[in-house]
Amino acid sequence: MSMEDYDFLFKIVLIGNAGVGKTCLVRRFTQGLFPPGQGATIGVDFMIKTVEINGEKVKMLHLLMGRQRRSELQIWDTAGQERFRSITQSYYRSANALILTYDITCEESFRCLPEWLREIEQYASNKVITVLVGNKIDLAERREVSQQRAEEFSEAQDMYYLETSAKESDNVEKLFLDLACRLISEARQNTLVNNVSSPLPGEGKSISYLTCCNFN
Amino acid sequence: MGTEMADFDSPQKLSGVPPPEGMGGGRCSEISTELIRSLTELQELEAVYERLCGEEKVVERELDALLEQQNTIESKMVTLHRMGPNLQLIEGDAKQLAGMITFTCNLAENVSSKVRQLDLAKNRLYQAIQRADDILDLKFCMDGVQTALRNEDYEQAAAHIHRYLCLDKSVIELSRQGKEGSMIDANLKLLQEAEKRLKAIVTEKFAIATKEGDLPQVERFFKIFPLLGLHEEGLSKFSEYLCKQVASKAEENLLLVLGTDMSDRRAAVIFADTLTLLFEGIARIVETHQPIVETYYGPGRLYTLIKYLQVECDRQVEKVVDKFIKQRDYHQQFRHVQNSLMRNSTTEKIEPRELDPILTEVTLMNARSELYLRFLRKRISSDFEVGDSMASEEVKQEHQKCLDKLLNNCLLSCTMQELIGFYITMEEYFMRETVNKAVALDTYEKGQLTSSMVDDVFYIVKKCIGRALSSSSIDCLCAMINLATTELESDFRDVLCNKLRMGFPATTLQDIQRGVTSAVNIMHSSLQQGKFDTKGIESTDEAKLSFLVTLNNVEVCSENISTLKKTLESDCTKLFSQGIGGEQAQAKFDSCLSDLAAVSSKFRDLLQEGLTELNSTAIKPQVQPWINTFLSVSHNIEEEEFNDYEANDPWVQQFILNLEQQMAEFKASLSPVIYDSLTGLMTSLVAVELERVVLKSTFNRLGGLQFDKELRSLIAYLTTVTTWTIRDKFARLSQMATILNLERVTEILDYWGANSGPLTWRLTPAEVRQVLALRMDFRSEDIKRLRL
Repeated sequence: MSMEDYDFLFKIVLIGNAGVGKTCLVRRFTQGLFPPGQGATIGVDFMIKTVEINGEKVKMLHLLMGRQRRSELQIWDTAGQERFRSITQSYYRSANALILTYDITCEESFRCLPEWLREIEQYASNKVITVLVGNKIDLAERREVSQQRAEEFSEAQDMYYLETSAKESDNVEKLFLDLACRLISEARQNTLVNNVSSPLPGEGKSISYLTCCNFN
Repeated sequence: MGTEMADFDSPQKLSGVPPPEGMGGGRCSEISTELIRSLTELQELEAVYERLCGEEKVVERELDALLEQQNTIESKMVTLHRMGPNLQLIEGDAKQLAGMITFTCNLAENVSSKVRQLDLAKNRLYQAIQRADDILDLKFCMDGVQTALRNEDYEQAAAHIHRYLCLDKSVIELSRQGKEGSMIDANLKLLQEAEKRLKAIVTEKFAIATKEGDLPQVERFFKIFPLLGLHEEGLSKFSEYLCKQVASKAEENLLLVLGTDMSDRRAAVIFADTLTLLFEGIARIVETHQPIVETYYGPGRLYTLIKYLQVECDRQVEKVVDKFIKQRDYHQQFRHVQNSLMRNSTTEKIEPRELDPILTEVTLMNARSELYLRFLRKRISSDFEVGDSMASEEVKQEHQKCLDKLLNNCLLSCTMQELIGFYITMEEYFMRETVNKAVALDTYEKGQLTSSMVDDVFYIVKKCIGRALSSSSIDCLCAMINLATTELESDFRDVLCNKLRMGFPATTLQDIQRGVTSAVNIMHSSLQQGKFDTKGIESTDEAKLSFLVTLNNVEVCSENISTLKKTLESDCTKLFSQGIGGEQAQAKFDSCLSDLAAVSSKFRDLLQEGLTELNSTAIKPQVQPWINTFLSVSHNIEEEEFNDYEANDPWVQQFILNLEQQMAEFKASLSPVIYDSLTGLMTSLVAVELERVVLKSTFNRLGGLQFDKELRSLIAYLTTVTTWTIRDKFARLSQMATILNLERVTEILDYWGANSGPLTWRLTPAEVRQVLALRMDFRSEDIKRLRL
């Protein structure tokens, strides 16, 4: 794993009830596999994939000279079971993005979403991007949660929503690549903001820690 | 195509030239008789005649050559004639040879077919012998079993049965159809009965042996089961026996626990010890019986044995953990902690120190479990490996899956994961509360650069991560590293941030006059109090000191984080070299650790911001007026004044003295590294401010010289107080001094452009003109005329 060969590094944490297919989504994206009979995740699984995303030329000039942008996605696949909750929670804060997953054939996994959102609220950074994913659309005949309902829910929570099938590989690439794009554009905005506000040494400009330290 | 053909044909037509001379033997001359007849002129005739003569000569030469060849051709013909009879002989021989080959071939085919028949016969013979042997064996077994059973020699009887079971069933079937069918049938019946009887006897004897705890007998009959094809049954019965032993030992141990005196040395970790005894007992059983299982049951069977044992292990673990939870109030404590962790909770907080022993015990329990599970994994894997050396990839994967399932889903694993889940929350609470306490009890001792909380906080963080590490669970360790990162990055950084936010008090006029004495005063007052209370900052001096101490604290934090990262890295190399946590473990750990390390630079940023703040609120307001006094010193001077300045320095010496006094205060209270950064900021400030006032002043030749001297003194002084190279910061000012020192306007050209040599101009042409214009004695037309 060459640590130097990327321009961005993003941490993506997958959360959601046990058995909704978090591991399968990650496996499908990182290895192109769909291993049937996947055992439950113990604690946290960790996978890395480096993706290349063509940036717009104009914006790229600001940061890098016409190079293709590589970004490394660190994907943390967390266990859905209650007993791993305290391990999972410790990863929220450093996550750049959260993929909140439920199973469209399992009403219960959808009904637990507010609980997960409360956790996000409590532990994650307020800048985190959250994506709601309804997985297992290959089992459409057993669907229990309608797309409309999920869309309404995600809209109310101001989340991006996508339905996927890790088995059929539907929307999996789109999910992660779109997310990477959004993370890149957000990171660019942040660097721009930072460049403007950071005072030059020796110049008595306004001190940024007086304004930026409002956690809690 | 057509054109190609045409092209191809045409050269042939064109090349229809007459054949070369000498090749025309046997052909008529090209000069026809008609042509000769038609000739009338003498000249033409002569010419034709000449040509004909020529042709004749050629023909004659050709004829001579042909005649010369006649001898050779004739002798060749003679030889050919002589060879004739020989050829006939060869033909005869060849015919004979062919006949012989055909004969040999037939013969060979005859022979080989006979060999094939022989081979077949031999095979059948072997089979017959085999069958005869088998039948003999069968008879022998029948007789043997009876005798052995009568003699209670069960091993022998089992060996006979084993032999019988190994026989080809079709052979037996065929034998029954033979002449002696009825007899064999009867014997077979006897044999099957004997088998049944033996099974019953072995089962019964085994049961009695296990009941009586007669290990030699237990092992004796355990070895007989596989001979009777009862592998599963043998293993399950034997495990049952072993499980009973495990259970009784565990019960004994648990009773001992309940009777343990609280003053006992191991009382605080008694449940971890009990688990250890349980695991060690099972490990010893596996160790002891593995050879028997391997030898008598074959490879790949250890998994079955351990699967049975693990069920008992789980049962016992459940009991121990239940007792642990009850006696240590584990769940109660967890809920209490959880409530306390909620912000704005009103419940009385649990004293973190009270959690200390239980946290240690839980990590120890988990470490023991991990060790035990690792032992099982190693043993089962290597046993499977031996059995699977020839097996397909699928079988291997299937076995791996079974193993993972057994170890990951066993109650022991789940119970420990649950305990660790609670542990992490409690450890987080322990860390947070103890850090808060360290912050609340923060004290500053005279002579120290930092206050107590920095060391305390890092001691706590290290302790908590170290304890998580001692659990041998990588996920637990990573979670604690994450939580420590959060604690340091937000909570603790906020504490330091808030202190810096109070600012360095703006300096009053008296402070300027007091200069260095203020620092001494602070030292003095803190000496009297013995401590410096950073909580209630009342006086300006205390506020100042608080700010400076905080800067030192921030720097040490940044360094401590880097140190912590390195320490953890080396601590974990050992863990990973043992193969704990699988292939992902290292990557997970590295990622979490790099997040922790990144906090170090956040503290460094905070330090930089604090320094900038200090520079602009404490140094700048003082330095600015000192520099402004430069304006009141005329640099438009005559020889007399210049000499007077030599004796009574008008500005720079006082300025240096002031700077020195001011920086002394910081030098005493800041770490060398921070002080160095601060002087760096200060010199930049001086350079910028001085440039500002110089551009507001006017100079003549001697004034320029005076400024040059002043600048040199200042740079010489600043060089002594900072390790940074300040030449660069003063490059513009030095160049301005050079310009102000010129004799004539045009002299600048000696230093400009192609003549600049090693000098890199930091002033733009416009700025050069601006500085030149400061010289009262330079004419503006001359300056305008300059080509820069």
